[in-house]
Amino acid sequence: MDIGVRLQKTVNLYMENGVAARYSSPQLMYDKLYFGFTYFTSRLGTAWGTNAIKQDNILLSASYYIRKDKIIRPFAGVNVGYFHASYEYKIFRDLDNQSVMLSPEFGINIDAPVPFKANVSFGYNLITGNGVNGAGTLYPLYVQTTLLWRVLRK
Amino acid sequence: MASFKKIGIVFILVSGVLSCNKTPDITPDMLDGTVLIDSSLLFPEKYLVSYSNPTPTSTEASKPVFLTAHGYSGSTFEWNEFRSWSSGTDQYFISQVLLGGHGRTYNDFKAASWHDWQSSIKEEYERLLAAGYTNINLVGSSTSCTLMLEMVASGYFSDKLPPANILLVDPIVIPSSKILSLIGVLGPVLGYVDSGLNPDEKPYWYSYRPEETLRQLQDIINVVRKDLEKGVVLPANTRVKVYKSKKDPTADPVSAVLIYKGLETYSGNKIELEMVDSELHVYTRLKLREKVTDKDVANQTATFEDFVARANPQVVHN
Repeated sequence: MDIGVRLQKTVNLYMENGVAARYSSPQLMYDKLYFGFTYFTSRLGTAWGTNAIKQDNILLSASYYIRKDKIIRPFAGVNVGYFHASYEYKIFRDLDNQSVMLSPEFGINIDAPVPFKANVSFGYNLITGNGVNGAGTLYPLYVQTTLLWRVLRK
Repeated sequence: MASFKKIGIVFILVSGVLSCNKTPDITPDMLDGTVLIDSSLLFPEKYLVSYSNPTPTSTEASKPVFLTAHGYSGSTFEWNEFRSWSSGTDQYFISQVLLGGHGRTYNDFKAASWHDWQSSIKEEYERLLAAGYTNINLVGSSTSCTLMLEMVASGYFSDKLPPANILLVDPIVIPSSKILSLIGVLGPVLGYVDSGLNPDEKPYWYSYRPEETLRQLQDIINVVRKDLEKGVVLPANTRVKVYKSKKDPTADPVSAVLIYKGLETYSGNKIELEMVDSELHVYTRLKLREKVTDKDVANQTATFEDFVARANPQVVHN
């Protein structure tokens, strides 16, 4: 099991940062198939000390890594989750401010001989707002880096 | 192997060049072509107060002037209904500005930046000030709202008489189509985007949106969004009201949230904002719409009345 911090930039929108954890079961494609949990928010990014919208994201993910035991390991995964934005004022109560999230994600994991691993990827939110329905600040394309430390071994 | 790589690189470069040179099929019935042109370019005195009345009397100079500006890829047509609704009044003036680069050919539009779009607003504002008008009210729709917000944020009014009101109809800070955020990647491949107009709209809006202009749109949206994140303060004695459709297929309603959070009056108060029960983008323009409801007409009328009341509380529109 690894835990770490996630730094994310949505293309043409916010920086959103948070925490991440992932787990690979010894009984199920160990070190190839990972299940993950991620929480990231603009509160720890662009909205820190600014007027940007405070928004929170929770993701559950499943990712498959190839090139076991190599330093650079490409992976592909899928995330599902929940998005919520705080509009803060009652006048906006009729606007959608939450959404289901669904995104494929592709990237590489760098498992260098240092105490942490770096996971770099891009993803595409398939569900976004469209002005009529959905959350307006849920944008499609993002890039992220997660720095992970191994806390449990099999 | 190396030769395959070279062929691949050449293929990508050629594809890129070809896609950049994509030109849409423009017909004479479109604003994009060389036949139709925005009327304000031919008859500026019919649209701009600085041309129709460049030497106002002191009474005229103190009357409200509504300086209207339209949205991205549009034309002066967008505010014609405010002029016709106001016909016969001598209580205020309307100056309909055509954004720079607009109302001309597709290639003229393609070559213009958002600074060019904005320059028309600034030029008419400065002409009105030079003529002596003292009650100028900016009225924007969609992208022109964004351009006006940038004028405030960049300090444009700091060395001149600021507007009495800035009235923003369906401002765009967040686009409804999130694909716009990918224009930097997709733009060179697409070349242009079809606007999906109905035939009646084609003389007044561009049927095709060059990717260069969409990049400019994304650019000004980003500039203003970041300004609002840092906080924008209005000039003293300038009031703002935002009118935003609750559902808008072009300018995401969440744009209103960003403006409400990021813009404050000189004395540190919140601006005025109304979430309008409408599903139209720029709900103040109803002509040439395929479907207009009684509610749409009521929304338009209420907003026009509100404009007039804000610019001069003494004026009663008949």
